[in-house]
Amino acid sequence: MNFGRRFIFPEEQWEERKRAKRLSWISLAVLTSTAVLMYLTLGQSEAMKTAWVEDLLGMIPPIVILIAYRIETQKPTKRFPYGYFRAVSVAFLVTAAVLAIAGLSLLFDAVTKLLAKERPPIGSITLFGHQFWLGWAMIAALSYSITVSVLLGMRKRPVAEKLHDKALDADADMNKADWMSEGAAIVGILLVAYGKWWGDAVAAGFISINIIRDGIRNLREVLADLMDETPTKLGGVETEDLPRRIAREAEKLDWVEKASVRLREQGHVLNGEVFVVPKTDDVKVSKIEEASRELAKIDWRIYTLSVMPVAGLEDGNLPKIESR
Amino acid sequence: MTRIAFIRTKWLAGILIVATGFVSACGLPHDAEGTLPRVQNGVMRVGISADSPWVVQAGGSVSGYEAQIVTQLAAQLHSRIETHAGSESELLEKLHKQNLDIVIGGLTDDSPWKKSLALTRPYHEDREGKKHVLAVPPGENAWLLTVERYLRDNEERLKAIPE
Repeated sequence: MNFGRRFIFPEEQWEERKRAKRLSWISLAVLTSTAVLMYLTLGQSEAMKTAWVEDLLGMIPPIVILIAYRIETQKPTKRFPYGYFRAVSVAFLVTAAVLAIAGLSLLFDAVTKLLAKERPPIGSITLFGHQFWLGWAMIAALSYSITVSVLLGMRKRPVAEKLHDKALDADADMNKADWMSEGAAIVGILLVAYGKWWGDAVAAGFISINIIRDGIRNLREVLADLMDETPTKLGGVETEDLPRRIAREAEKLDWVEKASVRLREQGHVLNGEVFVVPKTDDVKVSKIEEASRELAKIDWRIYTLSVMPVAGLEDGNLPKIESR
Repeated sequence: MTRIAFIRTKWLAGILIVATGFVSACGLPHDAEGTLPRVQNGVMRVGISADSPWVVQAGGSVSGYEAQIVTQLAAQLHSRIETHAGSESELLEKLHKQNLDIVIGGLTDDSPWKKSLALTRPYHEDREGKKHVLAVPPGENAWLLTVERYLRDNEERLKAIPE
């Protein structure tokens, strides 16, 4: 049984975890390069500013993941007897909130600019001894950013799937959705190039809505996690049938009459209880401990699983209590 | 990963140069209100606020370094200058409303008007480290680019302005 012990990732998942960490470091390096390029071409374009802020915000999830990965595997302590796996959820709550708030503020900026009919002045930049319109440099920086973020997203996705890592999955999604934002910024700048000044603010508005959407989606996911949601499939609300499978396995034990299982997802790991109705009243402690050990092997994510003998199950689900 | 990204950057730089050549040929960017085609072979409305030695008003005549810049620019574009004198804030307000095409008056790039106007690239840094610019209406990007091209072409000479 794992109570109070360090959680050990299986070999395969440990390798994936290393890969996830490496990808997060690469993300940080790459996003820094795109942020610098975009900053150099920022000018007074609202769309470009918004895309740049989105780029900067995109650095939060990898940082959060790297920190959380470091914390989560620490041994449970007296003060934190359940271990540190919630670190990922806590970190992601912060990220999601920052995204939503930053998105709202950028949307406000874009709408104000549009209503005030503020025109974006975009001047020139001198590169390689030639004078270019800054707008073209912006489009080049944005194209670079699209390419790298889509590539990153594509690399992260399979790792997230193998690790069943919701944080990394959300990060991969954000990377992949970047093409929409940056594509919008390109369209906005092209509109400005054709003298349609409103293109800039409209594109900025579109990007900020994208950021808000990212924030809300992450918020929903992480809140469900903090509310001790039963394990769900990656990137959705569809529940897994793992509790049922564990219950069925428990019922196969020769001393068990009926069983029911509740699990909660906490970051990478699952914790929960198996309520069992024994056939006779005299169950051996060793049998219970063995059951706990064996049932935990059904899925690598199971960290602590308590086996709790009860007199009966209500609706075949929760323990029946005589004087309720 | 990083290598791929590097190759792509080089690629993009190549595409950028070719594409810029191409679109410049199409005459992009355009102005939101068509200032450049109106000024070319037409009238350039210049807002003038005295600030020696950049803009010097004496009697009916205007001189100074910035006056010289617009005069030469107008000559290049075959346009006639129409002067509008006034206080700096008055002129910049008019410029913001597109009632002027350019304002000269010893403006620097730390002007509080920065956000609502298009300031050109600095053409000169004075003894106090202030970077001098000209102001054009916001969103008139072809016009802004034309003014900046003039400033760049005359970079060396303008940098060396004696104060």
